Amino acid sequence: MSASSPSEENYAILVKGITKTYANGVTANDDITFGVMRGEIHALLGENGAGKTTLVKILSGCLIPDAGEIYVNGKKVKINDPTKAGNLGIGMVHQHFTLIPTFTVVENIALTLSLTGRLNLNAVEAKIKEVSKSINLDIDPKARIEQLPVGLRQRVEILRLLCQDVKVLILDEPTSVLTPIEVEELFKIMRELKTNGKSIILITHKVKEALAISDRISILRGGKLLKTLPSHATNEIELASLIVEGFVPSLRVGRGHMGESILIVKGLTVKGDRGDEAVKNVDLDLHAGEILGIAGVAGNGQKELVEALTGLRKMEAGSSFLRDCNLTNKPPKFIIQKGVSYIPEDKMKRGVVLNMSVSENLALKNFEEQPFSKNMVINREAIDRSASVLIDKFGIKASNSCAMVSSLSGGNIQKLVVARELAQGSNIVVAEQPTAGLDVKASQAVHQRLIELRSKGAGVLLVSSDLDEIIKLSDRILVMFNGKFVGEFTHDTLDIQRLARLMLGSLQ
Amino acid sequence: MVLGLSKSTLRSIYKAIISIVLAFAVTSVLFLITGANPLIAYYYIFYGAFGDLNLTIETLVRTTPLILVSLGLAIAFKCKVWNIGAEGQLYMGAMLGTITAVSLGNTPFTLTIAIIAAIIGGMAWAAVPALMKTRLGINEVITTFLMNYVAINFVQWLLSFPFRSSDSLFPESASLPDAARLSMLLPPTRLHLGVIIALVVVFPIVYFLITKTTFGYKLKAVGENPDAAKYGGININKTIFLALILSGALAGIAGFFEVSGIQYRMRASLSPGYGYTGIVIALLGANNPIGVALSSIFLAAIFNGSSTMSRALNQPQGVVDFIQGVLVIFVLGSEYIMRYLEKKGVVKL
Repeated sequence: MSASSPSEENYAILVKGITKTYANGVTANDDITFGVMRGEIHALLGENGAGKTTLVKILSGCLIPDAGEIYVNGKKVKINDPTKAGNLGIGMVHQHFTLIPTFTVVENIALTLSLTGRLNLNAVEAKIKEVSKSINLDIDPKARIEQLPVGLRQRVEILRLLCQDVKVLILDEPTSVLTPIEVEELFKIMRELKTNGKSIILITHKVKEALAISDRISILRGGKLLKTLPSHATNEIELASLIVEGFVPSLRVGRGHMGESILIVKGLTVKGDRGDEAVKNVDLDLHAGEILGIAGVAGNGQKELVEALTGLRKMEAGSSFLRDCNLTNKPPKFIIQKGVSYIPEDKMKRGVVLNMSVSENLALKNFEEQPFSKNMVINREAIDRSASVLIDKFGIKASNSCAMVSSLSGGNIQKLVVARELAQGSNIVVAEQPTAGLDVKASQAVHQRLIELRSKGAGVLLVSSDLDEIIKLSDRILVMFNGKFVGEFTHDTLDIQRLARLMLGSLQ
Repeated sequence: MVLGLSKSTLRSIYKAIISIVLAFAVTSVLFLITGANPLIAYYYIFYGAFGDLNLTIETLVRTTPLILVSLGLAIAFKCKVWNIGAEGQLYMGAMLGTITAVSLGNTPFTLTIAIIAAIIGGMAWAAVPALMKTRLGINEVITTFLMNYVAINFVQWLLSFPFRSSDSLFPESASLPDAARLSMLLPPTRLHLGVIIALVVVFPIVYFLITKTTFGYKLKAVGENPDAAKYGGININKTIFLALILSGALAGIAGFFEVSGIQYRMRASLSPGYGYTGIVIALLGANNPIGVALSSIFLAAIFNGSSTMSRALNQPQGVVDFIQGVLVIFVLGSEYIMRYLEKKGVVKL
């Protein structure tokens, strides 16, 4: 297509020459021109910090561009705030959901349907049923959000937009929190939406997904739009090399040299948030020099298992030992000091303190140790010095080590957490979705680092819903379903079909 | 970066200035209604606070209880524990300090021991809601606030019966022994040793504690994100407990200094609401020790200046409370005003 003179009428949304420079001098969007046609799924591909998020923030009215024009259905518009975007039929599903957990689906959707006068939930429910039927979406309108798994919550977000008659849906990294099966479900819904004439902008950095679902793909790099390609005319290798210069080919992971048992868990039972038994009498044996993958659909007890092992959740029964050191129900600090690193799944909520500086956050787990502090007095120089080293080594993009973490992009916050957890030689690394939301290059770096730690004799417990990642890295895979391990595979006995069925519980 | 201040510090300063200017503007309307020229009124307030050496020293004397209380509150607020109970902690500290001083009589250690007793009194009173919060999860806003009434009425009873002075018509304690009094440094002004202790000893210690120690780090981490703090190995309940009892301790010292530096007897009318004014100050100073110190002097100046002004212009005494109340509203609203100004490009940081 010719980017210079696209005829405005053909596009559901069209932007011309969008430029946005932040107060700190970073040009996140540099003269971007692209359009999405009606009934088109358009993928925006790019590394962390390529400017994807800035672009869609501009489209959804959260940011105002410095220059450029936006056309909706051929008409030039100004999108000053999210309400305006909503009126124009542009809606966004954020990476971090915006539903009220204690409200039901109906109540959440009623919230955004600018109702006046008496609240008629029945009418809203009828509307939800009508809309969900039109795209074959199955959801119980009376279910409370907190009871729904992540995949369903996302569908509620989409449903909410549809109830508002949104014509252009923006999905920000929608698959990063989903299991492979849930991803398929989401794609099905996206195809339904497409046949109903909706346009979708899909933000992702997973090349495979972009190829699988989208009609056209636009590649962003360093704030510039590099190219827009029809999906059928390109392939993984071309895209990947466009996204990153010097693409690192997939690692071939050799087997580690397994040593003695380093983490021994026996008869572990843990309760979930709702008081039910989330982990049921589980045994686990992690060896030094081993990456043990825990595969499973999210919500089958992985989170509770990890929290119990790191001291953040009480063990109801059972024990956990690091070699012969008892970790059972010890406080987090004790467990940290024994050399247990933990990359949490929710990096924003648990991994960092947003209103503290990068260097303070990097010292979150060792600020009470020398040289970072002595006799309760903090040595800021030592903290800053060590931070600068980590910032360089892990490629965290921050203006300086004193910058607030809240000023970093999501991907860089993740790098920060990974840097803190993997920098020191740990005995055990518990990695929960360590690469979710990271770009290709950064993911490779994390994988490389996990493998390095393994070869130094650490035991790595890898919990991920990304099957590719689990299969690529793990020496051994345990499948978790409904609070129990229902299957075990080694490198040699791996059977992906069987693994998938075990995860879904269709094979016991 | 201006004067090496970080963006967030600069923002807090702007917010404080905006709040003060707006509070003064609204108070001007009150003056106009009551028939005074606002400019003359503010002149008298300023004169009453800093007009001459004696008035300036009086302002510093007034600053002392305010800075002690509000530094303590800044510690608690920093970790988002809302201690509304400084008033009660102040009374309990003053009471226990007085009882100790009176029972010890004149010994070389009377003052030191009485100050320690005052610290213990304030701490103990704060420890009750602290335990309720950390052990039972009971909201500290309600418990600390209600315990103020318990404390003040309890003190009133103590002064009416068991510890009532035999030589006085009023319900008040016996007069403090000389050894328990904070020495006067510049007679005939009321500049007492407590003023120096508060400004030269306590203030730097709290500044150091908040900005340079691991405890200060923990306060901030727990306040900003308890989930991450717990994950990082910080004992959240311990931090909250310590923050609350430390703020109680400082309120206790504030109370006893009022007795041993100025009143020499414990009375139920000891504090004109210093424990509540401390909340205004901590908010205005954004929990930053330097901000809190400056805000303490500011509020003390309003306190003293207003009484001069009301005498000179025949205005109601209540103007102090009026300014304080309006100030709280604008401090709480200043974030939105600031964001509005930033959006409009009036203020650029």
